[in-house]
Amino acid sequence: MKRRWAALTLLALAGAGLMVPLAAFAEPYLAVQNGYKCVACHVNPTGGGLRNDFGVIFSENVLPVRTLPANFPTWSGKLTSFLRAGLDARASWTRTQVPHNPTQEQRQLEQLRLYADIALIPERLGIYLDEKIAPGKSQELEGYVRLNDASHGWYLKGGKFYLPFGFRLQDQTAFVRQLSGISMITPDTGVELGFERANWSAQLDYSNDIGNASAEARHQITGQLVWVQTAYRLGAAASATSTTDGNRRLGGVFAGLRTGPVAWLGELDLARDDGFADGARTMLAALGELNWALHRGQNLKLTAEIQDPDRAVPEDQFTRWSVVYEITPLPFVQLRAGFRRYRGIPQNDAENRQAMFVELHGYL
Amino acid sequence: MLAWLSACSGNGQGLDQGGRPLTSGGTAGGVLTADFDSIQHNVFTPICTTCHAGSNAPQGLHLDAANSYSQLVGVPSAEVSALLRVKPGDPANSYIVQKLEGHAAVGAQMPFGGPPLPAATIAVIRQWISDGALRSPVASGIGTRFAALSVVPAAGDFLEAPPARIVIAFSQELDQTQIDATSVHLEATQSDGRGSVDVLPATAFVPIGNPRTLIVEPAAALSAGRHYRVVVGGVTRSTLSSIGGDRLLSSGNDNDGTTLLTEFDVAAAP
Repeated sequence: MKRRWAALTLLALAGAGLMVPLAAFAEPYLAVQNGYKCVACHVNPTGGGLRNDFGVIFSENVLPVRTLPANFPTWSGKLTSFLRAGLDARASWTRTQVPHNPTQEQRQLEQLRLYADIALIPERLGIYLDEKIAPGKSQELEGYVRLNDASHGWYLKGGKFYLPFGFRLQDQTAFVRQLSGISMITPDTGVELGFERANWSAQLDYSNDIGNASAEARHQITGQLVWVQTAYRLGAAASATSTTDGNRRLGGVFAGLRTGPVAWLGELDLARDDGFADGARTMLAALGELNWALHRGQNLKLTAEIQDPDRAVPEDQFTRWSVVYEITPLPFVQLRAGFRRYRGIPQNDAENRQAMFVELHGYL
Repeated sequence: MLAWLSACSGNGQGLDQGGRPLTSGGTAGGVLTADFDSIQHNVFTPICTTCHAGSNAPQGLHLDAANSYSQLVGVPSAEVSALLRVKPGDPANSYIVQKLEGHAAVGAQMPFGGPPLPAATIAVIRQWISDGALRSPVASGIGTRFAALSVVPAAGDFLEAPPARIVIAFSQELDQTQIDATSVHLEATQSDGRGSVDVLPATAFVPIGNPRTLIVEPAAALSAGRHYRVVVGGVTRSTLSSIGGDRLLSSGNDNDGTTLLTEFDVAAAP
């Protein structure tokens, strides 16, 4: 029996390696379904990446259709008393149809990431690392020092990290993530002051501007406030960037609600950007998502999104809807299959594409 | 939900492919050809500016019509600074091609979140780069006067860092047998243009596969805080010729037998 489980696990992990490990991004619907804050499961207080003790237990015992046998070796994430590690591997197959273009199929290793959290002073001072090691050359995505107060009510982190803004969705191509430019593939360098107490979670960040690829010093200030209740949560975020290309102001509200087996997510973001050659633009993106827990370890996700790239220009909006089925057959292995339909202005073929995809996700 | 979404997407009336009003300078695009304007209107504007525009443009790269050429051609990539985003005459070593084809060392394949560009579209971009990555289409061959069409760095540029090379695109194929160590001079003066003129050792060569481009590479890294000129001729009275025998036409900046190709400044080190 033990050998069978070991073989199944190895098969799944090998499959993940052969296809494309899809990053260990966050899944905020799980937090909404369970009434948790991000910090309940993740080392990073703002969510995503390496899991803490409870996150590993949750992944091992609550998420999968089947748990491993009692005598099977368990994974705690702790390599030593001061070092916690994890990984995330994602592979995918995608078939895309763009009008007036040949159908394309892609198989790719989306990413293989390693995480580490080193406790310099247990529960007080630590170093967090998020390193992408494939595809391509190794790349540090996050690397920061974090200082907590004794009760973990306050923290200060400095270095390279993802800014907090709205839901940390698994899908980094979601319109709300693209409009804000803040996602789990766009780290920034700066400092973050965070507050985690009772039902509140708040962050204030001062950073160098995500889009800044020059030696020029830029300034981005970002703030987020979230109020979490067992059955619902409300959040608001704002960000301001000053650059020589122009200034950008960003605001967003987001909410989650649990109704029985369904977790609802909603986010609305608005941006004002005066860095365009033909003048300032006000842009909008919105997301509505339903996550239906069909059965233990299975989720059906329906998502509707809209983006208006310039509120002053009529009839330029584009939309996307998605149907995604997710199953976690075993601890630390997830399969995802879905369909996305894009609708935009008829003269732009790429805005009217549709895609089917299968993703295999392995994580520790 | 589907009906609501369908009703929400724009009908595109009065807009170009990039969703901008036709009356404000947008164009209808047309058939994709291997020239910059066509690539801008058929690829960069409708596909890339979804993200690469505005003050939040990823990697500081703006691909709207007003900025894309100056931020692509001869400009080091932000992700892999050893590679130019577009290296005239060398598509394989142009970072934009590596990103579009999905084998760049860093980051995701472009367009991010969308399907890769069709191979035929990438082939057109490759061809444009092979042809010298000119800003404007050039009628090749007979009847076109032999002149420099674009130079990177361009005349009057003020650069934050010294360029590794100077890239000059011509209207006709160069006669490579006429190019030697005296053909092109790289000169440096003080930042105000005064003082003695230093002629810097440099190599001029025509890259394989792109006979309309001349690349000038300094033998040593250029210094910060100086003014640079690239000239043809001078004491030797040598010049450049096309394979048809046409001599390089002056751009009107002749001075003592030289033809000025470009002059630029490099900022002083901080």
